[in-house]
Amino acid sequence: MHDQNDPIELDEQPLRAWDEFAPDADEMPELADGLTRRSFMQRMAASMALAGLAGAGCNDRPTDEKIVPYVQAPEGVQPGKPVIFASAMPLNGYGKGVLVTSREGRPIKIEGNPQHPSTLGGTDVFLQASILDIYDPARSQTPTRAGTGVDASTFWAALGARLETLSKVDGEGLRFLSGTITSPSLIDLIQSVQRKYPKARWHTYDPMDRANRRAGNVLAFGKPLSVHFDLKPARVILSLDSDFLFDDLASLRYAREFMNARRVRVSQLEMNRLYVAESTFSITGSMADHRLPIRPANVAMLAQAIAAEIGVAGVSAVGLDAASARWVKAVAEDLKSQKGTSLIVVGESQPPVVHALAMAINEALGNLGKTVLLSESTEFGVGDASRSLKSLADDMTGGKVDTLLILGGNPAMNAPAEVDFAGALRAMSTDRQTDDSSSHFTAHLGVYSNETAFLCQWHLPEAHYLEAWGDVRAHDGTATIIQPLISPLYGGQSIAEFLGRLIGQVQANGYEIVRSYWQKAAGTKDFEGWWQATLNTGVVAGSASSLISASCGKPDLSNLQGSANPAAIDIVFRPDYSVWDGTFAGNTWLMECPRPFSKLVWDNAALLDPATATRLGLAGDDVVKVTVRNQSAELPVALLPGLPDGVITLHLGYGRGPRRSNTTDTGLGDTHGVNVYPIRFSDASGFSANVDVARTGKAYKLVRTHNHHAMGGPTTPTTSSGKALKPHAIVTPQTSEAEKEVGNRRLVRVVSLGEFKAQPKIVEELGGEREKRPLLSLYPEWDYSKGYQWGMSIDQTACMGCNACLVACQAENNIPVVGKDQVEKQREMHWIRIDDYFDSASESPLVVHQPVPCQHCENASCEYVCPVGATSHSAEGLNQMTYNRCVGTRYCSNNCAYKVRRFNFFDFNIHRETPQQKMLANPEVTVRTRGVMEKCTYCVQRIQNTRIEAEVALVNIEERIRALSDENQKTAMREEGRKREHEIVEGMQTACQQACPTQAIVFGSILNVGGQPTKVKTLKDEPLDYTLLRELTTKPRTSYMARVRNPNPALEGAHSRGEA
Amino acid sequence: MSAETKAKDQPLFGLAAEFDSPEAIVDAARKVMAAGYSDAEAYTPIAIVELPEILGSKRTYIAPIVGIGALLGAVGGFGMQYFANVIHYPWNIGGRPMNSWPMWIPITFECAILMAGVSGVLSMFALNGLPQPYHPMFRLDSFARASQDRFFLCIESTDPKFDMIETRQLLESLAPMAVMEVPK
Amino acid sequence: MSSIPHDATMQTVNPPVIYPGVTYASVTDQVSDVVLKRPFGKAWMAGVGITMLLVMMLTGSIGYLLLKGVGVWGINVPVAWGFAIINFVWWIGIGHAGTFISAMLLLMRQDWRTSINRFAEAMTLFAVACAGMFPLLHLGRYKFFYWLMPYPNSMGLWPQFRSALVWDVFAVSTYGLISLLFWYVGLVPDLATMRDRATNPIVWRIYAILALGWRGASRHWQRYHAAYLLLAGIAAPLVVSVHSIVGMDFAQSLVPGWHSTIFPPYFVAGAIFSGFAMVLTLIIPMRKAFKLENLITLRHVNNCCKLMLVTGMIVAYGYAAEIYMSWYSGSVYESYLSYNRFFGNYAVAFWLLITCNVVIPQLLWFQSIRNNLYLVWTLAIVVNVGMWLERYVIIIISLARDFIPSSWGMYYPTVWDITVFAGTIGFFLLLILMFVRVLPAIAMAETRELVHETHGGTVPMQNMEPRRVR
Repeated sequence: MHDQNDPIELDEQPLRAWDEFAPDADEMPELADGLTRRSFMQRMAASMALAGLAGAGCNDRPTDEKIVPYVQAPEGVQPGKPVIFASAMPLNGYGKGVLVTSREGRPIKIEGNPQHPSTLGGTDVFLQASILDIYDPARSQTPTRAGTGVDASTFWAALGARLETLSKVDGEGLRFLSGTITSPSLIDLIQSVQRKYPKARWHTYDPMDRANRRAGNVLAFGKPLSVHFDLKPARVILSLDSDFLFDDLASLRYAREFMNARRVRVSQLEMNRLYVAESTFSITGSMADHRLPIRPANVAMLAQAIAAEIGVAGVSAVGLDAASARWVKAVAEDLKSQKGTSLIVVGESQPPVVHALAMAINEALGNLGKTVLLSESTEFGVGDASRSLKSLADDMTGGKVDTLLILGGNPAMNAPAEVDFAGALRAMSTDRQTDDSSSHFTAHLGVYSNETAFLCQWHLPEAHYLEAWGDVRAHDGTATIIQPLISPLYGGQSIAEFLGRLIGQVQANGYEIVRSYWQKAAGTKDFEGWWQATLNTGVVAGSASSLISASCGKPDLSNLQGSANPAAIDIVFRPDYSVWDGTFAGNTWLMECPRPFSKLVWDNAALLDPATATRLGLAGDDVVKVTVRNQSAELPVALLPGLPDGVITLHLGYGRGPRRSNTTDTGLGDTHGVNVYPIRFSDASGFSANVDVARTGKAYKLVRTHNHHAMGGPTTPTTSSGKALKPHAIVTPQTSEAEKEVGNRRLVRVVSLGEFKAQPKIVEELGGEREKRPLLSLYPEWDYSKGYQWGMSIDQTACMGCNACLVACQAENNIPVVGKDQVEKQREMHWIRIDDYFDSASESPLVVHQPVPCQHCENASCEYVCPVGATSHSAEGLNQMTYNRCVGTRYCSNNCAYKVRRFNFFDFNIHRETPQQKMLANPEVTVRTRGVMEKCTYCVQRIQNTRIEAEVALVNIEERIRALSDENQKTAMREEGRKREHEIVEGMQTACQQACPTQAIVFGSILNVGGQPTKVKTLKDEPLDYTLLRELTTKPRTSYMARVRNPNPALEGAHSRGEA
Repeated sequence: MSAETKAKDQPLFGLAAEFDSPEAIVDAARKVMAAGYSDAEAYTPIAIVELPEILGSKRTYIAPIVGIGALLGAVGGFGMQYFANVIHYPWNIGGRPMNSWPMWIPITFECAILMAGVSGVLSMFALNGLPQPYHPMFRLDSFARASQDRFFLCIESTDPKFDMIETRQLLESLAPMAVMEVPK
Repeated sequence: MSSIPHDATMQTVNPPVIYPGVTYASVTDQVSDVVLKRPFGKAWMAGVGITMLLVMMLTGSIGYLLLKGVGVWGINVPVAWGFAIINFVWWIGIGHAGTFISAMLLLMRQDWRTSINRFAEAMTLFAVACAGMFPLLHLGRYKFFYWLMPYPNSMGLWPQFRSALVWDVFAVSTYGLISLLFWYVGLVPDLATMRDRATNPIVWRIYAILALGWRGASRHWQRYHAAYLLLAGIAAPLVVSVHSIVGMDFAQSLVPGWHSTIFPPYFVAGAIFSGFAMVLTLIIPMRKAFKLENLITLRHVNNCCKLMLVTGMIVAYGYAAEIYMSWYSGSVYESYLSYNRFFGNYAVAFWLLITCNVVIPQLLWFQSIRNNLYLVWTLAIVVNVGMWLERYVIIIISLARDFIPSSWGMYYPTVWDITVFAGTIGFFLLLILMFVRVLPAIAMAETRELVHETHGGTVPMQNMEPRRVR
């Protein structure tokens, strides 16, 4: 594959990257009417798009080729060669750096940009899946007035007239509403808008804005500083209801740094320790060495207790129950022992005072400036109450708003419960005068024609971030210039372009706007060089905000009180692991992506601890009515061990729609899940204590990819009839001998750091007798001792179950979405799945995430049962699937002990309907037809590319050697050849590996390459390494590294997992 | 001498006698052969074990043919699999060796059975000269009962000892239900 | 044939194979008249009507299946095999009784086989026809079924001979062909008889062609018997091999509950068990309907029952051995499997199976029950159900709960699973109904020989009818 770090690429990328899009570059005279390369690319895509709008089938491709023969390929676009561009994906106003792979002008894959501070090369599910949105036929495709399509010029005429009158009154009554904005060029534009219309006001609203943390910082430091963390030096980390591995601006970075300090190898026997006190069950919680499930309101008390223990000035101790007290004591001791190398992180769901308190503790521990980094906020109009959604809604009802332009976002759906924005907007949009021309003007610019759009008079399609120029800042202020990979498929425009046009730049061109801004901002003489380098690396060098040092004021804890009543029910709101705040509610990849722990798909639910459920007389799939201050929502119940007693977790972002779509078979287009924003009040955006929960008597079928919940421990809850039957899957040194020998499958092995240090061979020991027995076979061994021998190692200590690998695999391998009903029939197609094993149903179970791709067994049981030899073994140890040969007897699936094979029970690709959807497919991977078996290939297409690259390199070296005469030079050259080969082969990454934020997955050759050991080989030699179901003699090439925990001795024993 | 002339006048297939029990025809057949006739054949609704050898039929050759068929089947079956996996298209299936002969025994066996069975049936029909739509015996009206409950013994005119008068006398001496001429 | 004794008047303590008063002629008349003289009764018409409807349902369901894909069935991952394979094994098993009766019993000189072998062989053929459908239908890409057979192709590709599924293709096709030959060879003399008795010229012609001009020459009889005996000698090991290989379809895998060396023998026993059940299910009504009680006597019913009892015990031993091994092997997965069979989501199926196949058949120890045709018939049905359940238990339960708990699932058949299964039953019965009206359901020639051996057909012929004169 093309590697950003490859020096050759570094030289050529910028030229390609920017030449291709430069409007003035015109080196294709053979194209009449002065088609530039850029506009050529645009036509290509546009013609596809039009075909799509016309609803034509896929057979419009040939006509395209007639229009422009591909012989004259644009420079930098070699047919069959992927081109990679650096860009950034904005989400809630902040950017995450990405590398986008483009093929023949079609963006098809997104990877993290290793040089970007927020991603460090990793990706989350949202980055991976955002590629699907750009081709989504459900996207808004044309400007509309009152729901009917109009020409854009009509809109601008209307708006122009409006602005005429407004400019007379300095824009009095002109209001803008957008999400959080950090884009420098956009902020610049907004300022010029405000110069033109001084009385106009710009409001921002974002359901995921970090208001609580900001307010906390205001309490602590007196101003809304932005905070981020450096986990590299942190030895002890305390998370107070924070899911910093998932929902923080820099979660990908944190995950990487956190895990790097946790990897245990024979060479490295140190690991950090994580304490988590949380009111839900987060992936961060599942990584904890000690986890304390706790009511959300009590987190404050816990924080205060810890502060008191540590001795923060002016904080008095609080009474806690014995268990918690013991926990607090131990944690505090541990923190104190790590002054300057510890860290307290507070979740956004906690009120400002807790954030302030945590800052005080961090300061007391001397973490400020070491693990806690402070800088000025880069958000536009941060912390200005007059810019809030509430004030806008009030003005709207108060008749102070004349013209409202909503730029992006979906406030009508996700506004706080107490703000009836939708009502106000509807009133404005429908208020008419006698001459039937509306007295108000409301317009919405959005990628989707969503709930807000329906309530506005006008709607304009917005460009996807892969379609338009722009820029955005990262969590630490580092700016990235967003490059479009393709011209707008559905003729959208960016917010910047909209504003540009609005203030009269008739040819408002995103490229011009961004470029001219940075021309000013960069302030270098050689701007071209700067521009090209910046586009290439994907980060604006030195644009990070400078760190500042500040000191906390004394936190005011006067009105702190926990929830005493043990019978009360609290609810916790969390962004969803798949749809985030609702932004991705239309993304079928994410909708079908099994949520961590619950493994739910296509729906959200009220997540409940089994104990609480029994107390409330609830069972799975019962529908409950949750009421908060007379606002209520009805959701189905899903049971999940590990949640604190009496706390219900609700995930935001569902209940979207109805939305236009021609892929209803996948379920897209129907409403999925329930919208819980209507019960989320801005003063209780994280949680509300003491809510009313009533069972409605209704039931709703929830679908999960693990129908049987018997995942591990003896007391794991199972589906009704399977009660007596719970296999034990997790084995630890504490597991009783009897259980090990009788019932334990030993799929997951867990040891503590101490145990590992004491006995390095312990993981093999955990395998028991079966592990020691020799692997007998009737047949002679096959010889795999030559060439490349591919293998994979998966580190269960590092895997946090974030699903990034799963979605990355889906994108890379053209894996179809099958829809809720098919998942219910257990026909999901994911090539890699993540098994979450619970060791018990206790309030604080140990959970291990185990990603399971094809194990590529050397003695593959799937192969010898295939009657037509459709699955066979390559000389490099790959278990190959020949789709063309498969007749679909499905015996291979039956005989796969790991059940990693997936079958096309129907023609699931029927959903690739529009030309746009077809453009998404990765041309290197076959799209499978009905009746064919498929499975993980170790990304064989990437392997092939690597082998070719390596061979070419070696051949070149050989030629140079032949040219040489001097023996020493020859040997030197040979040595260089070996190095190069090793470098190339080690550079290859599978899709899942590349996506993994924590680098839990490592792929490569299990033999030395170029005489040097590979990463995988060294990992497989580690004593932590073991294979699944070894006793079956299948000899998997995929092996696992045991989960290593670092418990605090002071909390071991009965409280080994901090059970409170 | 005179027999030949008669035979020339109206060509006959032979003279047939009809009996109503297996015992009768067996007895008759013995006598006929004892009288020195060679070209005689019995037609019966059931197989009568003694008859063939009385009428001078030796062995059937079915068994050896079946044996050869079985052998060919076995060799062919195993050979096909060996050729396919070792010589023609060798490729790695689940780490099994190319010549994993234990897994080829079932098909070898089935092929042997198939060939044996088919060769047995075909050889039987072939040696019996079946299918044979026409045979002179069918011209006798009563011969319809040869497949039901009557037993026929026919001395064919090709027999050197065949003579209209003597042969008829001999047959009638065997107390048949009837003696009739079988036209060619 | 006024004096055909009826069950009521029959001796029930070891009854004879055929009753006195039966002669060469009467056998011939009685059997061939069922085909040539007997008018089409209402019951028969009704039967054909109903089975035709079922066949229509079958074709409809198959059409839908081929149109939509195997997804219309309840199969999934982990349970990728469902009704289709269950039915396949069930039907193939039923077939085995036919070959067993005609081949094994012939070699063992069991004279009583004579009057039921023709019918049983027909049953075999029809059962195999039904079974044969399923492996094709259950393919994801049915149109490429021929890739399982060795044939010259431009890619130089071969079937993957290590797979038991390919063994299956060879075994089942061989089995089908050999059974057909065996059946036809047995038919030839009777076809001659039919030819000689047919009055309708068209019918006569058809039989004449099929009879190949058989004229019962003693030399022909000699070769005929040699071949027939050899064929029996071949079919006997064949019938054992076929279901052994079907057993290996499962035993070859590593799935707990399949991966077991006891499978081949106990599949064979199970096959014959279910086969005899089906024979009884069919002959008891038939002998009544066509008044063949004097040829298919209580002796036959009795013997079939005894064989069911024996094979049933072998099957029961198989179950016991499986359970014992699951404990003795010390394998987590095996022991869990038994545990799951006893108490799991599918426990009902398992216990029902034990009741049908192990408990209830024990009644057959009693002569009185063996002589009560109604009981025997019900019991045969019960065993048929039980044997179907056995395959259900083996296939579904084992797949639904294998090695890695995260992949466990449940299997729920859809309406299409059921219609296809019911359809094949209709198809099978239709073929049987047709068969009894166009071909002699009892081997006349062999029965005549039997008459010869027992009371040498010299008994004076009673009330003979005038013979047809051509």
